[in-house]
Amino acid sequence: MLKRIQLVLVALFLCVYTRISGQEDFSLQSILIDSLLTENANAIVRSEDIVIQINSINSVTIKTKRVVTVLNKYGNRHADSYEPYDPQTNIKRVRATVFDVLGKEVKEFRKKDFSDRSMYDGFSLIGDNRFIYFEYTPVDYPYTMVYESEVETKNSAFIEPWFPITNYNLSVENASYKVINLKKIPLRTKEKAFVGYPIEILKGDHEISYILSKVPALNKEHQSPPFSELVPSGKITLGNFSLVNIEGVADDWKTMGKWQYQNLVSGRDELPDEVIKKMSELVEGADSKKEKTKRIYEYVQNKTRYISVQLGIGGWMPMKASDVDRLGYGDCKALTNYTKALLESQNIPSFYTIVYGDSRRRDIDDDFASMQGNHVILNVPNEEEDIWLECTSQTAPFNFIGDFTDDRNVLVIKPEGGEIKRTKKYKPEENTLHTTATIFLQEDASMVAEVVSESKGLQYDWRYLTKLKPVKDQKLYFKEYWSYINNLNVLSLDLIDDKDHVTYQEKVKVNATNYATKVGTRLLITPNVFNRVIRKKPKYKDRKTALVISRGYVDSDEYIIKLPAGYIINKLPEGKVFETDFGVYSCSVSKVDQSTLKYIRELRINDGRYPKEQYEAYRQFMSKIQKADKTKIVLKQQ
Amino acid sequence: MGKLHKAIIIVLLMVSVNTIAQEYKFGKVSKAELIEKSYPLDSSANAAVLYENKKVYYNFNQQNGFQLITEVFKRIKLYNKNGSDHATEEIFLYKYGGNKEKVSGLKGVTYSYVGDKIIETKLKKDGIFKNEYTENRDQIKFTMPSLQDGSVIEFKYKITSPFVYSIDRIYLQNIIPINKLEVQIKMPEYFNFKKLTSGYLPINLKESSAQDVINLTSKSRSSGVSTQGRNTKYSNSKVDYRININTINSSNIPAFKYEPYSGNIQNYISSINYELSYVKYPNEPADYRSSTWEDVSKTIYENSSFGDELKRNNYYKEDIDKLVSTVSSELDKTVIIYDYLKKKMSWNSRRGVFTNAGTKKAYKENTGSVAEINLMLTSMLVYAGIDANPVICSTSDKVISLFPTIDGFNYVISRVKLADGSLIYLDATDKHGVPNVLPDRIIKGMGRVVAKNGTSQMVDFRPVKPSVKAYRMQCEIDEEGVAKGKLSVSYKDYLAHNYRVLNSAKDDASKAERFEKKYGITELDEYTVKGIKEYGKGVNEKFNFTIEDQIEAIDDEIFFSPLLFLRDKENIFKSDDRKYPIDFGYGFSNKYMVNIKIPEGYEVVECPKTSAFKLPDNMGKFTFRSNVSNGVIQIVVDETVTSPVIPANYYPTIKEFYNQVVKKENEQVVLKKI
Repeated sequence: MLKRIQLVLVALFLCVYTRISGQEDFSLQSILIDSLLTENANAIVRSEDIVIQINSINSVTIKTKRVVTVLNKYGNRHADSYEPYDPQTNIKRVRATVFDVLGKEVKEFRKKDFSDRSMYDGFSLIGDNRFIYFEYTPVDYPYTMVYESEVETKNSAFIEPWFPITNYNLSVENASYKVINLKKIPLRTKEKAFVGYPIEILKGDHEISYILSKVPALNKEHQSPPFSELVPSGKITLGNFSLVNIEGVADDWKTMGKWQYQNLVSGRDELPDEVIKKMSELVEGADSKKEKTKRIYEYVQNKTRYISVQLGIGGWMPMKASDVDRLGYGDCKALTNYTKALLESQNIPSFYTIVYGDSRRRDIDDDFASMQGNHVILNVPNEEEDIWLECTSQTAPFNFIGDFTDDRNVLVIKPEGGEIKRTKKYKPEENTLHTTATIFLQEDASMVAEVVSESKGLQYDWRYLTKLKPVKDQKLYFKEYWSYINNLNVLSLDLIDDKDHVTYQEKVKVNATNYATKVGTRLLITPNVFNRVIRKKPKYKDRKTALVISRGYVDSDEYIIKLPAGYIINKLPEGKVFETDFGVYSCSVSKVDQSTLKYIRELRINDGRYPKEQYEAYRQFMSKIQKADKTKIVLKQQ
Repeated sequence: MGKLHKAIIIVLLMVSVNTIAQEYKFGKVSKAELIEKSYPLDSSANAAVLYENKKVYYNFNQQNGFQLITEVFKRIKLYNKNGSDHATEEIFLYKYGGNKEKVSGLKGVTYSYVGDKIIETKLKKDGIFKNEYTENRDQIKFTMPSLQDGSVIEFKYKITSPFVYSIDRIYLQNIIPINKLEVQIKMPEYFNFKKLTSGYLPINLKESSAQDVINLTSKSRSSGVSTQGRNTKYSNSKVDYRININTINSSNIPAFKYEPYSGNIQNYISSINYELSYVKYPNEPADYRSSTWEDVSKTIYENSSFGDELKRNNYYKEDIDKLVSTVSSELDKTVIIYDYLKKKMSWNSRRGVFTNAGTKKAYKENTGSVAEINLMLTSMLVYAGIDANPVICSTSDKVISLFPTIDGFNYVISRVKLADGSLIYLDATDKHGVPNVLPDRIIKGMGRVVAKNGTSQMVDFRPVKPSVKAYRMQCEIDEEGVAKGKLSVSYKDYLAHNYRVLNSAKDDASKAERFEKKYGITELDEYTVKGIKEYGKGVNEKFNFTIEDQIEAIDDEIFFSPLLFLRDKENIFKSDDRKYPIDFGYGFSNKYMVNIKIPEGYEVVECPKTSAFKLPDNMGKFTFRSNVSNGVIQIVVDETVTSPVIPANYYPTIKEFYNQVVKKENEQVVLKKI
């Protein structure tokens, strides 16, 4: 991962402060607050004032003052209590003061009261990001925290963006953001989602400011667009900047990409001769560029593992290919650059590609060239198609990026400059799960079944990692997956991962003692044994946001159900077909012979973004499926 | 018989041959180890510790006195890529007041078998990282280079510590299997340690002793009459002393696996902890830390951050006088003081038996550690004439201390004994607590009530009485299969506490949403909740519901489970077997009373029969009663697990118990059109 993640964290959670007014301020009381701001809110940003002064490309001062009233325990995380820093950043001043409901000062934290520790980002072996923090135990709610700080950073490649609304259930009374560009360094801005918010924009000769007031708290809604698209943000980037003491220039993606290529990527791909020789041997006999690339990719998967070390410029620059070769590990930058070098040695050109890696899709902003992304993959152009390689995975099939980096704008860094491309989209018909089963029902209400499912595309991605778990956990996986079947026993399993065809097959034999319900001389059974929609979608009286179905898929099921001796079905249920914009569902039961039934089900879900008015129709569609999936049939004893 | 003997001897011989054959020296990795494809005793292991050696001992030098040395040597086999997590080691080094722990002699090698050769790759500086983790802890991290499937890694290092009294907990089990483990602890006779073990595996500890010598050089200066002026003399002296040696050698240690509902897993992983009991240098009196429970009590009371805190009363006197001067009953006084403090004080999440900033400061600032808050509470109660004592505790996530130690405890609460002999446990750090209902962090732990006179007594906090959750449902169903009705849910005791902890800060809409989500209710209205703030009483929630998908109409028959959406749909226990006890913290009872009015023109043709079954040893029971009259089906169900802890050997029994519960609750009512 790139260091960028931490900077996003900074942008989202940090609060930096400036002027300190010693007097008790009427605005610090929290008895009289507009109900518009308290509704649905766990905390209220009473005021946030950020002043960013660009002194030069090697010095940016950020002064922040943020006043937050916390209404309940869920709001505590919005009251700032820490300040991140790194070797490029100097915390000049920091102070926090807590006020009670009446606006009376309760406690003060000065810099000496802050503790200092290393930041653990959850995946890096080591990094040089740190933070200072204090611990405050709220005595009562509501309370108000005034947090002020002043920091200076030598990095001007990232200018802290304006994110006045950082979360759901957080309202904002006042927020302001001002950039003072002392040296009039050329800069570009991008305002996103300002429409519908009361924002005042002031742009002067060397100053930019945004002011926002009175925004009520938002509630999170199921399957809504990403939060960052719902709230306003302002981004600023400099035409000339500095990143860990390397100076840069960028006006557009072409120049930005060129600068990144020249300063961060190029010249780090030298390999020892014996490695090049080994590669030549490896690709010998391969008849296409694609086959050669595949062999080299699999070589890298086998040889390396993901270890992230983020120190200094190492947060942005890949480790040398020769070091990766010797150590056998690296982070996304290092492993991508290493693969690129190995391909290069066989005259296969490939490009270092910056992306936002997240299953919740996020684009590199195609019209705002700046330092972006949190992950790196490799792009290998192959005639008309693009091959995408996820070099940090030891398990992903060749040219399979899955939902972590699919279908989004990425920055491909070429020697001549940067280029925005879109990664592969997995269409619904590519993401298939085909399940067949033979189910033997017994007179004692139990059943035994043999199930075979085959998954492809993203459904492969969502399932294949189970194979890597110990058998006990694999069994538990199926018990959870079919958790609606009481007392399910997994008798045997055989999992086959065909990476060449990106197909995953699960052959499972199960039984369950009470699958059917015995009622007098009848047996009640649900013919949809192995693929049910279980969860209901929440209902909203007044849905506020669009509906997002992020990935489409197609499930098809075909079960043969053998009835116990002496039982028959009188009347077959009617087949069902539901057709909507969101997808199509059908299911039916038919008689093969007197003692055999056949259940067929097909569900196609279409990905897409739908207007908020359509959410209710989607909810009803899913609810109808959920009901149809658990419909029972009655078997009668003859 | 004879044959059997022979077989045993052969097996024994083989075992001993095996253990003799393999000697583990750094750098001597065998081809057999490198080509091994899976761990013979557990083929699911991604990695295994082939050998681990830990030596803990003391060095003496005149400049620094004793220093605690820990030497670690590990050889780990990585069978596949998923084992590579075990190729990274993290060492934390403590530092305090100018003293710090240091690492030296760090060496590491990766061995892989390629072609027909063993390839060695050394761990170099660029793979070792040092980091100041917090103000009191440094962190050393390293990761081994050039791993391949089947690689063997080895590393060793030495930690030198000036903190001679604290030997770190020694783990005798890992999350991967250990083939062979050798641990040796050597302690000079001056330091007397208590041993505290955890886990289910037998610990094969051998004790022995050896003699050692300390050489002291003393310098003396003579001054005085001599014309030659000052004169420095060196003299050597020798001190003989005994070293106590503990050795633990074991092999084939299975991997430690986490199981759900385990309670405190720290009690289940095999480990040994050394806690200083006393220090006694020659010709000096022993300095006791702990050794008997009397010593523990004494040590704790003598500590100014405990004993003195209990005595101090000047800072609250006036406030407490005002509160209880007109109250005469012991119980009322107790509750008034406890409520006062619970409201006033906020807990800062710090644990420990001793105070940090002190009770007086905590009282002034309205926040404090658990020791500050509950010692203050105990002191106030005693001041008000109540028989109250502190209870030192080990929290739910800590190893339970069965032997007299201080380190075994990390929490403190208060116990009141009323004149009638009844006992009340109080923890004022818990905003949702009530007398005799303790927070989760302590309920699965253990405590010891300590009195000033040195007596102490073990107490278990798990309540004897199960907590009750009662559901009452009245509903009507129609021909279409839609059910409409009212549901009331009440929570008592621990379940009320649990409700308050989870939900009291939510608004009513979010509280109601829990039900919509959990049960898939189509329409929910008139939601009300009562009793959240009325501590000591239960909490009750009520609402009206409409639900569409619980009832099935097929031809002219209607089918449904009579508990509708309230029924248990799946067994919470899915695993085939289990090694650790199930710890619920407290017993519980789910009671249901359901009345369903059937649609006009239908009659009940089938209804699940009344039945009951029990868990052995009165650990729990299930009763199901049904009755049909005048078109109304009435169901009364009681699911009770009385015992907070169910031993592992009862796992199949409780799993089957829940299977039967799910089966019974899923039985169907059948209605037929008349």
